[in-house]
Amino acid sequence: MSPLTLLTMAFTLMLGTTITLMSTHWLLAWMGLEINTLAIIPLMIKQNHPRAVEATTKYFLIQATAATTLLFAATTNAWLTGAWEISQVMHPLPTIIITMALSLKMGLAPMHSWLPDVMQGLELKVGLVLATWQKLAPFSLLCQIPNSNFTILLGLTSIILGGWGGLNQTQLRKIMAYSSIAHLGWMLLVMQLLPSLSLMTLLVYIIMTFSLFNIFMINKTTNINSLSTSSMKVPVLTTLTPLILLSLGGLPPLTGFLPKWLILQEMIKQNFFMTATMAALSALLSLYFYLRLSYNMTFTIAPNTSTNTLSWRLNNKNIILPTATSMTMTLLMLPLLPLAAMPLF
Amino acid sequence: MSLPKVSHLPPLRLLSSIHNPHLLLCSIAPPSVPRRTLSQSGYRRPGKTRDDRLPWQKIDFDFWKGVEGIKKHFKLLKQELTDPLIGPEGKPILEHMKEQNRVVWEFRGPESLAGWTVSCDKEIGGQSEVYLKLGRNDTCFLYGTLNSAPPKDGETRYSGYCTMRSKQPLASFDRKKHFDWSSFNTLHLRIRGDGRPWMINIATENYFSHQKDDLYTYFLFTRGGPYWQDVKIPFSKFFITHRGRIHDQQHPLWLDKINTIGFTLGDKADGPFQLEIDFIGVCKDYAHTEDFAYEMYKRNPTA
Repeated sequence: MSPLTLLTMAFTLMLGTTITLMSTHWLLAWMGLEINTLAIIPLMIKQNHPRAVEATTKYFLIQATAATTLLFAATTNAWLTGAWEISQVMHPLPTIIITMALSLKMGLAPMHSWLPDVMQGLELKVGLVLATWQKLAPFSLLCQIPNSNFTILLGLTSIILGGWGGLNQTQLRKIMAYSSIAHLGWMLLVMQLLPSLSLMTLLVYIIMTFSLFNIFMINKTTNINSLSTSSMKVPVLTTLTPLILLSLGGLPPLTGFLPKWLILQEMIKQNFFMTATMAALSALLSLYFYLRLSYNMTFTIAPNTSTNTLSWRLNNKNIILPTATSMTMTLLMLPLLPLAAMPLF
Repeated sequence: MSLPKVSHLPPLRLLSSIHNPHLLLCSIAPPSVPRRTLSQSGYRRPGKTRDDRLPWQKIDFDFWKGVEGIKKHFKLLKQELTDPLIGPEGKPILEHMKEQNRVVWEFRGPESLAGWTVSCDKEIGGQSEVYLKLGRNDTCFLYGTLNSAPPKDGETRYSGYCTMRSKQPLASFDRKKHFDWSSFNTLHLRIRGDGRPWMINIATENYFSHQKDDLYTYFLFTRGGPYWQDVKIPFSKFFITHRGRIHDQQHPLWLDKINTIGFTLGDKADGPFQLEIDFIGVCKDYAHTEDFAYEMYKRNPTA
């Protein structure tokens, strides 16, 4: 793809998300979502492999269905209440339909089945965009619509299914897809209680996922076995990757603990004891497969003979700064907790 | 023979065709054209008699066979549910990590041959023959006669192929299962051929119907001696073909959803052939770092 085309697609991607983020009208928000979908399609299909074409087709069909449903619900709401503004009071039925449409867009349970297959068919760079940037626009709409306990149910289902589905995966992209589902579940748990906390969870998730995808790109690995023999490629990364994985798993004193702690605290304050307990227990499922990745990569030396011994001696041509920055933020931001406690909105 | 004029027919009123089916236009067709029955599929194997029975007449109901089938599927389902408790693909993670070689097909009994299908150009009216049996010392023995005389149907120009292909692995309730060979990068075979060049075809899971005949192919040159031959072919060497024609746009074989593997003989040398296979396995060769063996060029570069 020529640099100009790539730039145009990236710009259009950002434009679509920005339009949705700043829109107050349902039609404008829908337009932003559609621009987003259309802009990422060429990036996905650039790889020119049948699996990439399959992933792109599935992604397009899913996103188109979700956008159509969203438009239908918005139109129904306008018909029933007379209001096109997102912030206006909404009729319950369109609210539920819009919630389901946005869940389908983001890959929240129970509409999550497409996400692992689509991620598996894409290359790591595009998978990163799918797991991070593409969540912003639907998330912003979900924050604005009046939510009910239904979102808590969706969130809990996502955490459980995201953890359970990732348990026996050996493909890293599928593991990241299930990780995305589980984290989105955590965001949804607290969305109706404290939307600013939900946004903070999303931002922390994006930073952690960005670091992990960069690590996989530097090591050029897509499955557990190749990860286990990549320890000689960049030894510093081999040391830090378990910490990033544990941060994703939500262990203190790493950054990933911050959103989980605050979410559980908020839920207990609002008397959602059972939900908070189930969410905390379900986080163990995700932690299992993160630990498994750490075990494979760092805590064991694979018994296979490897030709990678000298790789780390060679000049590394990768651009390190974004990875280094995001890794630092993934590991060391917990002391900024008092900042998170300040009201943002 | 002239068709009867439409004006001589009684007028076709709305819904009258239900009471008078002979008024439907299809009854005007000349009687020499065979009526296409509802149950006829698009292809009939030459030599097989036409089956004109209606669908409900073809049912072969057997209660105990049904019970056996239900038992088998539930047993498979139970295994599918308990395997993840052990680890990926039913093996502990340590075993998955340490695995460098895996024997996928090993012919140690007659039941192993049930997982393979043989076919030849007899299906299109040719004269080749192919048989599969268990060889001495429990190996797979594929033999037969190749005949490249094309069938006399006026349209087929080339013929002469024999093939053996593994059946699609199935999970419980006949759902498709795929082989995940992404931890490996080489195909390892132990064979004893007859000096002929064979083709190895690997089929992966596809999404679109136009891709259903896409195969990743490479050649297997056999030595023909009395000694066994260990053949190791990296998966990076396989190129994509469609119904025998090589694609212009090539890409590497992805190993996470393999459906079947097959061996085809089509070297235009008429006569008997045989191929004996001891095992088919996959292995990881760490010295082989090639992603894909073929360079791609722009087909229509702008000057």
